[in-house]
Amino acid sequence: MKMKQVISSLTLLLTMAVAGQALAAPKVVKVATDATWPPMEMVDANKNIVGFDIDFMKAVAKEGGFAVEFKNSAWDGIFAGVESGQYDAIISSVTITEERQKKYDFSLPYLDAGQILVVPKGEKAGKLAELVGKKVGAQIGTTGAFEVKKNKGVELKTYDEVGLAFEDMVAGRIGGVVCDEPTAIIYALKKKEYADKFKIVGKAFTKEAYGIVVKKGDKELLALINKGIKAVKAKKQDGAMKAQWLK
Amino acid sequence: MTQKPHTIEVGDGAAIPLKSDKGLFTAWRLAFVGALATLTWLAFTRPDPYMKIITFVPDGILVTFKVTVGAILLALIIGLITGLGRISSNRFINGLASLYVEVIRGIPLLVQIFYIYYALGRIIKVPDILSAIIAMAVCYGAYMGEVFRAGIQSIPKGQAEAALSLGMTRSQTMWHVILPQAFRVVLPPVGNEFIALLKDSSLVSILAVADLLRRGREFASESFTYFETYTVIALIYLILTLFFSKIIGIMEERINVDR
Repeated sequence: MKMKQVISSLTLLLTMAVAGQALAAPKVVKVATDATWPPMEMVDANKNIVGFDIDFMKAVAKEGGFAVEFKNSAWDGIFAGVESGQYDAIISSVTITEERQKKYDFSLPYLDAGQILVVPKGEKAGKLAELVGKKVGAQIGTTGAFEVKKNKGVELKTYDEVGLAFEDMVAGRIGGVVCDEPTAIIYALKKKEYADKFKIVGKAFTKEAYGIVVKKGDKELLALINKGIKAVKAKKQDGAMKAQWLK
Repeated sequence: MTQKPHTIEVGDGAAIPLKSDKGLFTAWRLAFVGALATLTWLAFTRPDPYMKIITFVPDGILVTFKVTVGAILLALIIGLITGLGRISSNRFINGLASLYVEVIRGIPLLVQIFYIYYALGRIIKVPDILSAIIAMAVCYGAYMGEVFRAGIQSIPKGQAEAALSLGMTRSQTMWHVILPQAFRVVLPPVGNEFIALLKDSSLVSILAVADLLRRGREFASESFTYFETYTVIALIYLILTLFFSKIIGIMEERINVDR
């Protein structure tokens, strides 16, 4: 009799525990990022994906009440993956543009950014348009690449990763690289092997804002993300992240 | 003395349609006409985005062509030297040629392309398309070397012995007796390598060389028409490979006539 009681109470406990966990287990959202874009998203020495976007997304998930799982994806095709459902969202320094909004849904903007030009030390040009007749590199499908294209006479060369563009500039095959300002700072000023080779030209020449991308029509997830972003901003949690990654 | 026609094994590469192979010949026609018709049909029934894609990529086709032709010519030269080196009785030359073949064949083409472009880019400044050509040629030169070696070795020893006994020097024997016959033997595998190289040239798109595939990727990444763009790119590659395999097939038949 006693044994039976023990078993039944144990079963009850177990059932409660399982049920409780099922209720508490948050929805897992798969988020793609192209971790080749320091300091926003990159792979560190321990093979972990780190960066401003990563910390920001984790905070958004915590506030929005969902779990997040990161997936490192090549930029070229990152949008196709959200469309085909390989992952649910993208946080990868994605600038909110009209063209992209036609195809995908964006969260509220979470960070301001701008494109900036990096050139070899000794280059006299004061802006992108003055690099006529030269090749300028950018990552494929980025707003940086679109900006270079706007300048007639400047030949755009697109790279799979922005790091390869900088490496090609060392080899002298291109005369400039256009990318987001925080990334430019890392490559032109903070990387030891490049610091004496490159310089940043002027200030950022575009005004852009980053957003988190979800599949067109995924209102449920978008609401969760926006709720998270609002809470993170209201609690000013992003200030410490900016201090950590963007200074 | 009657002699058996010497042929060597055809390994990788694409299928080259010979009239004697009825099934493949029909398949070639079907695929070629089908691909052309599909492309045309798509361009006219849905000009947006298909016509846009088709008008965006032609300079990429030109670059693909430049890389392929440049690389095959350079690979033929490297391959001939390597092939001769591999059958050389000089142990140093032989060892060097064999080492080259072994090392290159053991490294994936993609890695070699990255290596020659970025690693060597720090030491020697080579323009992008040229370094793409060099990377492809260095790789294919090793395979081509084996083709030439097999081709030269397929010529019966009696030929060289006869030439030498007629008073020809060793190099005269090689250039006037052995190589002309060997070239005929190696044509099918060289044709195969050409087609394989045309397809592998798409790998240079990772070097920011604006070839057919990269132009396609640029278009897709800006317009988000991934499915449509890669359909067009695949069809264009198919048309190119089929077209060239046909030309190589015709060349082979011409050469086989007087056999």
